[in-house]
Amino acid sequence: MPRPERKLITFSIDGREVEAPANMMLVDAAKFGDVEIPVFCYEPKLGAPVGACRMCLVDIEGIPKLQTGCSTPVKDGMVVHTQTRRVKDAQQSVVEFLLINHPLDCPVCDKGGECPLQDVSFGWGGGMTRFVEPKRHFKKPLELSPLIAIDRERCILCYRCVRFSQELSEDYQLVLHERSAATFVGTFDGHPYVAPFSGNILELCPVGALTSMPYRFRARPWDIENAGSVCTLCPAQCNVAFTVRDDRVLRVLARENEEVDDGWLCDKGRFAYQSIHAEERVVAPMVREDGVLREVTWERALEAAKAALGGAQGRIAGLAGGETTNEEGFLLQRLVRDVHGSPHVDSGAGLDRSGLLALGDPGLQATVADLEFAHTVLVLGTEPVDDAPILDLRLRKGVRRNRVKLAVATSRPSSLDPNATLAVRYAPGAEAAFVTALSAAFYGGAVDEPAQAAGADAGAVHELATLLRTSGGDQPGDVVVLYGQRVLAEGEAVTAPLLKLAGALGLSGRPGAGLLGVPTATNGRGLREAGVLPDAGPGLTAVPSAGHGATGIAEATAAGELSVLYLLHTDPLRDEPQRAVWERALEAATHVIAHAGFLTETIREHATVVFPAESYAEKEGTLVHPDGRLQRLRPAIGRPAGVRAAWQVLDELARSAGAEHGVHTVHSATQQLFAAVAFYAGLSVDAIGAKGVRWWEDDARAAAWPQESGLRAAISDLVAKTPLSRTPDYEEAPTPSGLGAADGATNGALRLGTYQSIWAAAEVEASPALKFLHPHQRVELSPADAARLGIEHGEHVTVGSAGATVEAVAHLRNESPAGSAFLQSGIPEDAANVLQGPLVEIRKATPK
Amino acid sequence: MSSAILFKDIDEPGLGTLAVYQRRGGYGDVLRKGLSMPREALVNELVESGLRGRGGAGFSMGKKASFMPKGGMDKYLVCNADESEPGTFKDRELMTKSPHMLIEGMILAAYAAGATKSFIYIRGEYAQQADILDAAVAEAYADGLLGENILGFDFSLELVVHRGAGAYICGEETGLLDSLEGKRGNPRLKPPFPANQGLYQGPTLINNVETLMTIPHILGMGAAKYAEIGVENSTGTKLISVSGHVKRPGNYEIELGMSAREIIYGLCGGIEGDHEVKLWFPGGSSSPVLTSDDLDLGYDFDSLAKAGSMLGSGAIIVVDDQTSVVEVCLKLAKFYRHESCGKCTPCREGTQWTVKMLERMKSGTATPMDLDIMASVQEQITGHCLCVLGDAMAMPVGSMIAKFRPEFEEYIEAARERAERELVASLDAGLVGSAT
Ligand SMILES: Cc1cc2nc3c(=O)[nH]c(=O)nc-3n(C[C@H](O)[C@H](O)[C@H](O)COP(=O)(O)O)c2cc1C
Ligand code: SF4
Ligand code: SF4
Ligand code: SF4
Ligand code: FES
Repeated sequence: MPRPERKLITFSIDGREVEAPANMMLVDAAKFGDVEIPVFCYEPKLGAPVGACRMCLVDIEGIPKLQTGCSTPVKDGMVVHTQTRRVKDAQQSVVEFLLINHPLDCPVCDKGGECPLQDVSFGWGGGMTRFVEPKRHFKKPLELSPLIAIDRERCILCYRCVRFSQELSEDYQLVLHERSAATFVGTFDGHPYVAPFSGNILELCPVGALTSMPYRFRARPWDIENAGSVCTLCPAQCNVAFTVRDDRVLRVLARENEEVDDGWLCDKGRFAYQSIHAEERVVAPMVREDGVLREVTWERALEAAKAALGGAQGRIAGLAGGETTNEEGFLLQRLVRDVHGSPHVDSGAGLDRSGLLALGDPGLQATVADLEFAHTVLVLGTEPVDDAPILDLRLRKGVRRNRVKLAVATSRPSSLDPNATLAVRYAPGAEAAFVTALSAAFYGGAVDEPAQAAGADAGAVHELATLLRTSGGDQPGDVVVLYGQRVLAEGEAVTAPLLKLAGALGLSGRPGAGLLGVPTATNGRGLREAGVLPDAGPGLTAVPSAGHGATGIAEATAAGELSVLYLLHTDPLRDEPQRAVWERALEAATHVIAHAGFLTETIREHATVVFPAESYAEKEGTLVHPDGRLQRLRPAIGRPAGVRAAWQVLDELARSAGAEHGVHTVHSATQQLFAAVAFYAGLSVDAIGAKGVRWWEDDARAAAWPQESGLRAAISDLVAKTPLSRTPDYEEAPTPSGLGAADGATNGALRLGTYQSIWAAAEVEASPALKFLHPHQRVELSPADAARLGIEHGEHVTVGSAGATVEAVAHLRNESPAGSAFLQSGIPEDAANVLQGPLVEIRKATPK
Repeated sequence: MSSAILFKDIDEPGLGTLAVYQRRGGYGDVLRKGLSMPREALVNELVESGLRGRGGAGFSMGKKASFMPKGGMDKYLVCNADESEPGTFKDRELMTKSPHMLIEGMILAAYAAGATKSFIYIRGEYAQQADILDAAVAEAYADGLLGENILGFDFSLELVVHRGAGAYICGEETGLLDSLEGKRGNPRLKPPFPANQGLYQGPTLINNVETLMTIPHILGMGAAKYAEIGVENSTGTKLISVSGHVKRPGNYEIELGMSAREIIYGLCGGIEGDHEVKLWFPGGSSSPVLTSDDLDLGYDFDSLAKAGSMLGSGAIIVVDDQTSVVEVCLKLAKFYRHESCGKCTPCREGTQWTVKMLERMKSGTATPMDLDIMASVQEQITGHCLCVLGDAMAMPVGSMIAKFRPEFEEYIEAARERAERELVASLDAGLVGSAT
């Protein structure tokens, strides 16, 4: 559904003629005349107004009754009064009513000082009460969840929290119990309100009824400062404001950016700040001596790193993790490539340069906001709530408010299935076959074969193609394909049909439509563009000879061809898909230099030099959002004394090897990066500012995107044409050699699919408030397979392949497709990357 | 009763069965006539009949039907059988005795509105009536009077009987719709009005049981004829439920415009014990009270409105001069406190504050100043809420304070004195410890 157009009208408010967008609610339109109408329940982020609190009553000429300004759209020629006796009486009445049962325990209320009820009472209340009866009492405060305390006496029943749960996050947990003055907020059966986005109700609540357990009684508004930055805990890169007291982050609030996060945060982003001040954080450099990591001086650590790099004669490799900034990545690839002459540098992009160039083509990019206004969104091989949580809310919003048609194509059942017009399943690992089938459905190619190879229902594939093709009426409308990076594992076998699909849907150059890739790493896109790739330099320029990608690096190191591994904010044993080869590589490496915040397994067992990493609240630099938006990280607090910025360390190492790059501040690194990347030309941190800039929206920058891709050349005309009129002259790529879904069943083995939970993160583990959410391994399987294997829900099992096993708890899901089993990756123990796949066997665990 | 229309055959044994109802002419020529008229013509008939909603608001039934948009979307008809207004029990008798008349009325209303799905939302406490309706609906389906192609006409209608869970607010039309959708029964913001976006966002016509049951009769006698009954702007007959201190409480069908005195002293035989009327609620507990001075008013929409009250649901509650107005007020306020959905601040807080003040008046801890506060609280509620439930307490309570202020003051004084006396007595009896 296309974005609505805005038209200006003129209306009168308190005697002033004011221009405002037509149909804007009066409370917002009033602001154009510098008039503030007090509100409590009105929160446009929550959708349609409810008109519950009655705080916003205004007098509109020609309407006898006072009207709620929050639900009355402004019309041309409207004459509105907010200062008449009648309105003031009404406002005072509502304030009086709100306060008669309110405990007014401001001195011990966390909200005090930043409380809309205080502000509105002061601004619009009568200043006294005539109520002499006993007030209403509830037991208080109570734990609504381990993260949220509820004080029902303070609740003004504005419905915001309940609407959030029911209509925004759609977790359907919060309800209003009882009615009249006995009404109270709770979960239906009193269970704790645990949900990925629960913390948003803390910010929505206009009073101190909902307070954050970890923040309770930690600070008063006059004790704190707020510092804007970006959350780096996942690729969604929500904009945040850190609440800082005495150089400690005590809270994270949303810093609304409509183009990024709509003003919401997930609970990981909201509460994992605790990791910043965790005991177990690495805050001093370390060097391994006699097999033991010991804290040392910076000089010693730098010496050790220099010696290791210097002695390697170029047999080094660099690997950057998701939280690496553009600047850090840029400096890393320069250190490895230019200073030490090794081509082996990667950020786990999982796709070669030509593929990246084709999929990253500026004409094909969709934005986050497009998800909300497209005719149809295809979610392909990603679970947004885990992979980029805040996008989950955006998709729900589009479906609910703008009637976006949602199609979900995944192997694991998605939490978005209930919202989807169509949900299609394919076997884990069969993405190439599936996308081939889908693309064939558009071009009249053979669908049955690849669909069968993908373990997908050919009819459903056709249905999906029809849905995508007809969403804009008799022609394809604006379609956004939101795909997970995982989908691209088979390289060209997926990118080619995916691009053909894009061509068929006319996505190229079409505003409001396009592809939106969710990388596995927070700054995955930025790192690619900064050249942290084995086969491309900054700006995705070609390099003379390609190096190894991440897995290749591991293999080469295991084989003794490489000797020094430089790990920038990454723990390959956890982050990389193939644990076994990395175990061998780390064993074989002579030196492992790591920038790390926590002593996770790789660092603890294998690092020889550890540089303490800045936390994201301390960092300065830039990131690139998956939709191409450059965002700026600004330090909210000072670094612990023993921590240095990674850019400084990387530059120091380059300098000591004789390379003087003149990186004196992080901004010099930024400038050098922007100069090196053709399509960032002319950008600066000032231009990026607080809200970011999507680089490809500038035509000159978009034109600077490298054009010489072989694959791109091959498909470019395909993409450019309006191919629905095409006759099926296109010969389908041979069916990928994916396993048929049914193959597994012959010996009782199941196909292994993996997913990473939103809670699988070192920062979550280090945050005491989130301890109760730590994921433990569980294997999801269908009741049919479980019955065949004699396994019951909740039973302990071992999942094994090729001699390796992990322990897990069996989790039977009715929606789970037969023949597949799903395990979590990214967790510290029993993670899926222990197993090779593609088939696994599940057995009852032998009792210990 | 010569004016009987709805009640004409109401006591016919077995009227609740399809056979008897049909024998009495039900589902016959009138229905055929209606279904063979063009929709617009049927709507016109309803407009011309002057029929006004019998559920409380008194809006023209025909006009409301004419607001239903044209077009192929799913449209709904909902019968409001929540009948929870204190004093109101006319729909109960109608549904108990003549369920098929309601179904027939709904078929015609649905046809006029272009609705193909219909619901009867009946209050949970009316279990017996719901059973009766269920049986009647089943009979109607079995006989082809509901479902596909009714009587062979190109019109189909589904009808579902839905039982509420006992909340007055679910009688408010939008609260009813939310409840019917399976949500908490909270009134919605208007606009959008149900005719545009009602049940499941579809255009919806909502009418009261009595309103819908009148339709076949209008069609039977012709709109013009119907409009001749009653007085200007209040055409036809109306079922009234009379309760309180009258000798013969019950449901009566009257021609609109009959005087209140005729109803109370004529039909209902006067006041029990031959006391005087102190006050009466003309249209259910939500209507501002009238006094014995108002007994010569004509019982019709305009006359009652002119007198500062309303016809509402047509429930007359008579209170004699032996009864304390404060007690009436407290009973009333407690009902609304209990039934407020709790959404709007003034209604939620104002109703319970009012109850607390009245309870203090009763227990002897109030002063006449509290009367001013109470009156001002009623003003603070009126017109400030999302639905009119808040007003439904504030207006009668406000009218009682305005009209019986001296009695309130005396009551407060008397209660205070009594409380003091009791305190002194208990001190004397040593029941309350003294300082020594
Ligand atoms: C608090 C409240 C309760 C109501 N209860 C009922 C009810 O029980 N039955 C009813 O028919 N109308 C009730 N109404 C009126 C309805 O909102 C609506 O006006 C009516 O159903 C329309 O039907 P009519 O036009 O046929 O009268 C109530 C209104 C309010 C505000
Ligand atoms: S808890 Fe807060 S957000 Fe929820 S209804 Fe009460 S006041 Fe509103
Ligand atoms: S969705 Fe991601 S970026 Fe946003 S708050 Fe959560 S973890 Fe942070
Ligand atoms: S006026 Fe009362 S009953 Fe009506 S919506 Fe408001 S709170 Fe609910
Ligand atoms: S802000 Fe308008 S009713 Fe609450």
